[in-house]
Amino acid sequence: MVKVPRIRANRYSLMTLEWPRESEPLAHWLKAQREKAPLLMDEIAIVLKPAPEHQPEEIRSAVEALDRLDIGLMGLTGSSQHRVVAHDLGLAWLSSNHGWIESQLSHETVASQSLETALIMEGPIRSGVQIYAKDRDLIVIGQVSQGAEIMADGHVHVYGRCRGRVAAGVGGQVSAEIFCLTFEPELVSLAGTYCGSDQIPEELWSARVRVGLDETSQKLTFGLMG
Amino acid sequence: MATVVTVTSGKGGVGKTTSSAAIAAGLAQAGHRTVVIDFDVGLRNLDLIMGVERRVVFDFVSVISGEATLNQALIQDKRLENLSILAASQTKDKDALTEAGVGQILDELAELGFEYIVCDSPAGIERGATMALHFADHAVIVTNPEVSSVRDSDRILGILQSKSKRAKEGGKVHEHLLITRYDPVRVENGEMLSKEDVCDILAVKLIGVIPESKAVLRASNTGVPVILDKDSDAGLAYSDSVARFLGEDRPMQFVIPRKQGLLSRILGGGD
Repeated sequence: MVKVPRIRANRYSLMTLEWPRESEPLAHWLKAQREKAPLLMDEIAIVLKPAPEHQPEEIRSAVEALDRLDIGLMGLTGSSQHRVVAHDLGLAWLSSNHGWIESQLSHETVASQSLETALIMEGPIRSGVQIYAKDRDLIVIGQVSQGAEIMADGHVHVYGRCRGRVAAGVGGQVSAEIFCLTFEPELVSLAGTYCGSDQIPEELWSARVRVGLDETSQKLTFGLMG
Repeated sequence: MATVVTVTSGKGGVGKTTSSAAIAAGLAQAGHRTVVIDFDVGLRNLDLIMGVERRVVFDFVSVISGEATLNQALIQDKRLENLSILAASQTKDKDALTEAGVGQILDELAELGFEYIVCDSPAGIERGATMALHFADHAVIVTNPEVSSVRDSDRILGILQSKSKRAKEGGKVHEHLLITRYDPVRVENGEMLSKEDVCDILAVKLIGVIPESKAVLRASNTGVPVILDKDSDAGLAYSDSVARFLGEDRPMQFVIPRKQGLLSRILGGGD
């Protein structure tokens, strides 16, 4: 089969650094932040949003300061007069109405493919059984036994007791979540970030639980549903 | 059309062969023409439990390989006229079982007028076990109230619903749970899983709880299916289980600790 390149619309979460005019010097503030939380700024992608009143020179020195601190700056956003500055500095310009463009794009993407609904499986899903819902969500009606593995590129819903291994966002989809009516899993994994049953907060055991991924800390977040 | 009932567990030593013998004898007692087949090729046991070890001339594998006819290999039980036994081979191994061969024998047994074909599955999830499962209409899952046995049973249920002929044709094998070696005293002390725990993990309909009993070992050693021992707790529990399998509604016996009298406490427990 011949493989061809293709352009796809993807959503990425970027951190936006909002920089008001009257604040303390940016480099100074960032250094302080890094000392407080050393891991926070590692390998994160940032978009800088200067205030409209910032002069091009100020932005240029802020960008250099970020560079010295090894912070990956993706581009600039904010008021449109800074577009030229971004261009001059060789940075991407993220238009503030990019949300609109993106939604246009994603509508097109949806329209061009046939919509794949969730894969629905009737439980019990037994020990040793593996289920993978590729490019879609997975819904299990009934229980998932210990030793079973259920996986999806999208969300995973278990309408029953879940004692097996559950993975959502298997293809790296960080927005994927796990929803479960009786939460007793051996292992949960979201976009490759996982934790075993011994790391699950005790008060959530056997509860109705929703699991998400906090991208900043790369940790799983557990919450009660309803 | 004959109904194929496979007795299976995953784990070994939980009481599959004892249960197969008891269920087959129970079905025969209830008036159904029944044959019980030992699928544990290479490690035959069923003939001992049924007390026919001296009458085995031809076996399951010799029929598959065409060395003998089915009628030559079938052993008629001397106690129950409705019951026949098809022993396993001691000298061959499980590779001798082929899907086509097993399927043909089951068809022939149905033609001979058997209503129930009870398959005694070997332990494990290898060939012998999957062959025994393949043609199942009903599966009796034998489990001890202990975590590793329960987990293996769960695994075998998964295989049953994905690899059996019925599952592949889009149907479902009827599942029944049989808990054996149950000791209500140890359950009460928290040393053993309760029947509720087991049912909760496996989510399968319970057809019986067989108490831990000296009668079982005694029955094996004498070659009499324990269900025929009407004075024993295990025998009665098996009778109830078979009745439930056939659709009758009976209360569970021997699942709460028996109040021991002073005398039996001094002299040590009975059966």
